[in-house]
Amino acid sequence: MQLTSIAIGQFYPGTSLLHRVDPRTKIIASFAFVIVLFLVRGFGPLALLAAILLVGITFSGIPPVWLWRGLRPILILLMITFFFQLLFKGGEEIARLGPIAFYREGLERGAFLVLRLMLLVLSGSLLTFTTPPVLLTDAFGRLISPLEKIRIPSNELALMMTIALRFIPTLLMELDRIIRAQRARGAGIGTGGPVRRARAVMPVLIPLFVMSFRHADELALAMESRCYRGGRGRTTRRKLKYGWRDAAFMAVVTAVLFSSLWIGM
Amino acid sequence: MRIAAHQVSLFYQKGTPFESKAVSGVSLAIEPGERIGIAGPVGSGKSTLLALLAGIMTPTSGEVTHDGKSLGRRTPPKPGSVGFAFQSPENCLFEKTVYDDVAFAPRALGLEDGEVRSLANGALAGVGLDVERFGSRSPFSLSLGEQRRVALAGLLAMRPPVLLLDEPTAHLDPISRHDIIERLIKLNDDVGTTVVMVGHDMEEMAHFSKRLVIMDGGSVVADDDAGRLLIDRMLLERHSLKLPGTVELCRLLGEATGGRVAPLLDEPAAVELLFKMAGGLEAGSCS
Repeated sequence: MQLTSIAIGQFYPGTSLLHRVDPRTKIIASFAFVIVLFLVRGFGPLALLAAILLVGITFSGIPPVWLWRGLRPILILLMITFFFQLLFKGGEEIARLGPIAFYREGLERGAFLVLRLMLLVLSGSLLTFTTPPVLLTDAFGRLISPLEKIRIPSNELALMMTIALRFIPTLLMELDRIIRAQRARGAGIGTGGPVRRARAVMPVLIPLFVMSFRHADELALAMESRCYRGGRGRTTRRKLKYGWRDAAFMAVVTAVLFSSLWIGM
Repeated sequence: MRIAAHQVSLFYQKGTPFESKAVSGVSLAIEPGERIGIAGPVGSGKSTLLALLAGIMTPTSGEVTHDGKSLGRRTPPKPGSVGFAFQSPENCLFEKTVYDDVAFAPRALGLEDGEVRSLANGALAGVGLDVERFGSRSPFSLSLGEQRRVALAGLLAMRPPVLLLDEPTAHLDPISRHDIIERLIKLNDDVGTTVVMVGHDMEEMAHFSKRLVIMDGGSVVADDDAGRLLIDRMLLERHSLKLPGTVELCRLLGEATGGRVAPLLDEPAAVELLFKMAGGLEAGSCS
């Protein structure tokens, strides 16, 4: 088991156009993309959305293997979705397997939903692959900063996100170590029947909890000792600035999204 | 048990932009009953090599064998054959009581209650913890030094023929450090358990090791009799290590008297030498 190779939320360093577009632009574009993705009907607009995503992926220089790794965890979900849609009645009968008949409409619906889910995951992966987590949360904080007016602490929310993201690899690494250490003591982790597996979770879960609480405690203390008093009025080293790239990027994305809406609604 | 590594390499996150080499092309054999120290600067791959030898990690290339049997993902080491501890093994304590934690491994090996009890009690005594006093306490209520002892007892309870320990004395107070080293030496002398210890405290290394392996940049740069390597100042300093105190003392004495003083690793012998030389300079001034 290689826990440390999990790709979710991972950043792929690069200098492509997509890497250099302002993270706020990318977040807005991703959101718009997802909304349009769920509004449109039919394969035409879906193909258009897939095409723009494909162009983005090509430009980003991210190896397809990485994107595939992002898709792998949802494969089973995709298969179940497809299978259930297949059972829908409608249109002409295209195949028959014993008592079960398959109809054209079921096949189409299944393919449509699977494609939609894949595009959803891929667009999310593209965002996180091309944006360092720190920039991503910084941008998120900026985007929701107008909410300060209704007393939503945008800075703290962004900081919480940053810390949570930062701790994912750390905790995964520690989890990996704990599993290996406990296995060396004879814990049957990941082997045997369900009962044995469930019982084997405790030697891993308890040390992991103890460790995360200790990390949280130490981090809070370290932040306080360096005079962190909440995010109000804090400045950042990296200033986010919109540029011509953002305008160009947004123009292309908007054009594609509107045309797929126009065909697909 | 004999452990052998043949041209072993390990890369972290292979095939990603974050790929990093931890151990490259190491070959090494550990015979039954040996007492080996592995020293080297931070990030030299000592800990990774130890985990590879234990079969806790699988090498990217090369092969590790236990008694001639090749280890791999599908062929893990025989249960109970290796006692392995990462740095700070007390982080893996989890049971409600000290006794249960120590008894975890023997129970997992499927031994009978009576046998488990004798193994756990023996292991606790072996690390200097009183079963009556500590057995029923929660491991989380103990001091760091006591927790470390419980964690080590958890390994000893398997009676493994080989112990592979990554800095077992780190972050402990001097008395505890000394005590743990003494117990490991005794275990090696009396029972014949193979003990391999990673560390970078040269005093400890001098006291503990019969054979010393020095690592730097993921490779073994020296592997020889500890007494021979620990007096080689050039070698040690080239790899960010320093001479043990007694050897340094002999070197300084040699410098001060303008002659050469044969290096000594043994503390009592060094004291005797110092005494003799002081006597030679100012007769009777030390008595």
